[in-house]
Amino acid sequence: MDRRPLLGRGERGFGLVGILLVLAAVALLAIFPQFVKKPYVLHMGVVLFLAIIQGQAWNVIGGYAGQYSVGHAAYFGIGAYTTMMLLELYKIPPWWGIWAAIANAMILSLLIGSITFRLRGPYFVLASISVAEIIRLAALHFKGFTRGAEGFLLSEIPPLHLFGTSIEFFTKRPFYYAALGLAAITIAVNWMVQHSKLGYYFQAIREDQDAAHSLGINLAVYKNVALAISAAFTAWAGGFYAMFVKFVDPNTVFGLDISVQIVLICIIGGIGTILGPVIGAMVLVPLSEILRNPKGLVQIGILPADSAFVSFIEARFANAHLLVYGILVVVVILFAPDGVLGVIRNTIARVRRRRAGAAAGEPAAAA
Amino acid sequence: MAEPILDIRHVSKFFGGLAANADVSFSMAQGMIMGLIGPNGAGKTTLFNCITGYYPPSKGEVLFKGVRMNGLQPDQVCHLGMVRTWQKVRPLAKLTVLDNVMVGALARTHSLKVAREVAHEQLRVVKLGHKDQMLAGGLPIGERKKLEVARVLATKPELLLLDEVMGGLNPAESEEIIQLILDLRKRGLTQMVIEHDMKAIMRISDRIVVLNSGEKLAEGGPREIADNPEVIAAYLGERVE
Amino acid sequence: MTVFLQSVLSGVLVGGIYALIGIGLTIIFGVMRVINFAHGELLMLGMYATWIVFTAIGLDPFLSIVIVAPVLFLWGAFLQKVFINRVLNALPQNQILLTIGLGLVMSNSIMLIFTSDYRILTTSYSSSSFTIGELSVSQPLLVAFLITAAITAGLYWFLLKTDTGQAIRATAQDRDAAQLMGINVRAMSVLAFGIGAALAGTAGALISPTYYIFPQVGGTFTLKAFVIVVLGGMGSVVGATLGGVLVGLTESLAAVYVASGLKELVVFVAFLAVLLFKPAGLLGKTRA
Repeated sequence: MDRRPLLGRGERGFGLVGILLVLAAVALLAIFPQFVKKPYVLHMGVVLFLAIIQGQAWNVIGGYAGQYSVGHAAYFGIGAYTTMMLLELYKIPPWWGIWAAIANAMILSLLIGSITFRLRGPYFVLASISVAEIIRLAALHFKGFTRGAEGFLLSEIPPLHLFGTSIEFFTKRPFYYAALGLAAITIAVNWMVQHSKLGYYFQAIREDQDAAHSLGINLAVYKNVALAISAAFTAWAGGFYAMFVKFVDPNTVFGLDISVQIVLICIIGGIGTILGPVIGAMVLVPLSEILRNPKGLVQIGILPADSAFVSFIEARFANAHLLVYGILVVVVILFAPDGVLGVIRNTIARVRRRRAGAAAGEPAAAA
Repeated sequence: MAEPILDIRHVSKFFGGLAANADVSFSMAQGMIMGLIGPNGAGKTTLFNCITGYYPPSKGEVLFKGVRMNGLQPDQVCHLGMVRTWQKVRPLAKLTVLDNVMVGALARTHSLKVAREVAHEQLRVVKLGHKDQMLAGGLPIGERKKLEVARVLATKPELLLLDEVMGGLNPAESEEIIQLILDLRKRGLTQMVIEHDMKAIMRISDRIVVLNSGEKLAEGGPREIADNPEVIAAYLGERVE
Repeated sequence: MTVFLQSVLSGVLVGGIYALIGIGLTIIFGVMRVINFAHGELLMLGMYATWIVFTAIGLDPFLSIVIVAPVLFLWGAFLQKVFINRVLNALPQNQILLTIGLGLVMSNSIMLIFTSDYRILTTSYSSSSFTIGELSVSQPLLVAFLITAAITAGLYWFLLKTDTGQAIRATAQDRDAAQLMGINVRAMSVLAFGIGAALAGTAGALISPTYYIFPQVGGTFTLKAFVIVVLGGMGSVVGATLGGVLVGLTESLAAVYVASGLKELVVFVAFLAVLLFKPAGLLGKTRA
């Protein structure tokens, strides 16, 4: 069976084309706000980019190294709370605070890794969930420190003085650019990981841990490296989220919802690929937003204010985004476990087989 | 002999009450091919596992190049120069054939470029070069075994442990492997080979160790072993020509 | 001292019900090696089913088990045949994700139908209790415990003494060998999931007089069920029984001696400890 990899993990192929595509997309997205000014659209852009970042971050530990953490909210939340608390309590601006957030997350990841990486498969999943739950429950309980369920409300973000100009964070625009930049960085990091010794080792661990071990791979070290990278970017997204949404509380940022959503983003797009999380985000975010807030479609002018579609969604599907997530997960796992990219890959492979069969003079085999 | 490259001293391995290996001792000189045979369940793979750090022996010592291996992890063992293949092949299924071997090569270098060259070379040695872009999961069993050999060779080992590498292969494929093993000896590689194919073992081995029910039953040259009545009895009576 | 004994008593009573949840989960895992993340949702469905029956025809929740259990059994069998069966050979991570997805669908469908309003099922005895010496015993909890004990005993008898029960255990022990012996392992899987669901649903019915009923209630129970099952050893019914009581006790004691708000956290920490130090469970059966 010829299962040549589609967009080659080979020596050339996808690498260059893909990079150019991504750069072009980033450029387009960068000039986008010059043409579209509606704040809601920019808001959606930020949400989309955040989802991409979360997905790319998880991909490193889940997609490449094969360790399915369903407790990544732990890092997201640590990022959110650290950044928020440093700003609100100590007046430290988020562009400094975020580094503390990332450091916290990486330390936490080393701790969690040392505890949970001895466990395999489903036990690891369970442990990762438990850790996130422990942190959430602790954050709820130790009100003196975290203000418990009340959470933190952002008062204001100080202006950022950069290259002689002063950037205010009152509108969506600066967030848009920051998020776009961060997303691009995370994609770049993913790419670099995949094309490095780290990437090979992570994937070896995913495919067969014992074989990898016997080939000279120190499992503990590499799993922890993968998790640290993943935690760092997840926390970065968390800190960003805190500044953007301006409110954090334990159930939102440490919740299982977040962890599941992060995994979903990767699964839907295609686990262990660079573009997978991007595709997954592009599916999940609009979907969840339309369900949560169908009036948004009116806001951006796609639908008229009296649209029957909008009222239908509002009446029936308010807060049904989780239901749709659930259905999506079931459908993807059952029919497309390699995600959208997997479907594309298999289709192209099938087409190639047919062509090869036809070229060899055989009737096209029913593929 | 001059300092043996591998020295197994009174190794025992217990699982609960069961002694999978019981007081096994032998040593290997550098550059030799040692055959390790015995009926199913004799403890051959268990011994491999103990030697390579998959788990530590319950008793006894394993010395590789004079270094005590007890308690070392498999990755450390690999870096010291000893690798093994698996009875049930373990391809890294979603990686290409080339990438599989590169993973092995990366044990000795940080450079992807160098690893790639080493990988291509090893694939050439096992005659799998033409399939380097195929996904390992799509290979038939014979080629999976060859892939596994290429992969461990890429780690530049000094001692290679082959666990039933000919299992499930047709005669042509087995012959290829036999030639490969003999070739590797010419290049100075020391090898221990677990096999059920007696003819093959007789052809390639300099010495043979026979295990039965966890104990070492006999050790000697191929002829001695073939004529050893206890060995024959253990295999339920087949004189090997 | 009284406080301690009281705490132990409530812990054991609640633990009995926890045991029922754990047993269901462990049977599913034992037979199919599937980690059912929707187990709490099955319990939630049991609660809602009980509430519906109670509101519609006023049937006492403990009596409505005769309706709720079979309904949940059928539902579980359905889930297995249509969904779970397809992923029996998939990566365990994918199996988990599938059950998570199913759980999301179940809890959110219920939310769409019934809204997320908290519902309560008040019976004449919902808050009654009687006293033994200095200890107060909640009546509904006691009755629930007794029913649980009876069901558990019945389950043990089923598994040990009947042909089907032994077939299930054989499948759990070694699926391939069981198949070679002529056991229809696919049917066993359906049966196991059905039984697991029925037990979860029954537990839901049993706690409905004393717990708030809302769509998201399943979540905590799923995680607790896992703690129980891992504590007792995945696949061990006896282990799940003991594990359930142990978790109930831990929670109860933690609520008194640590802090009420931290009682769940303590359970999770204990869970991690067990996963790390005794992954095969306190009774040690299967591999981690």
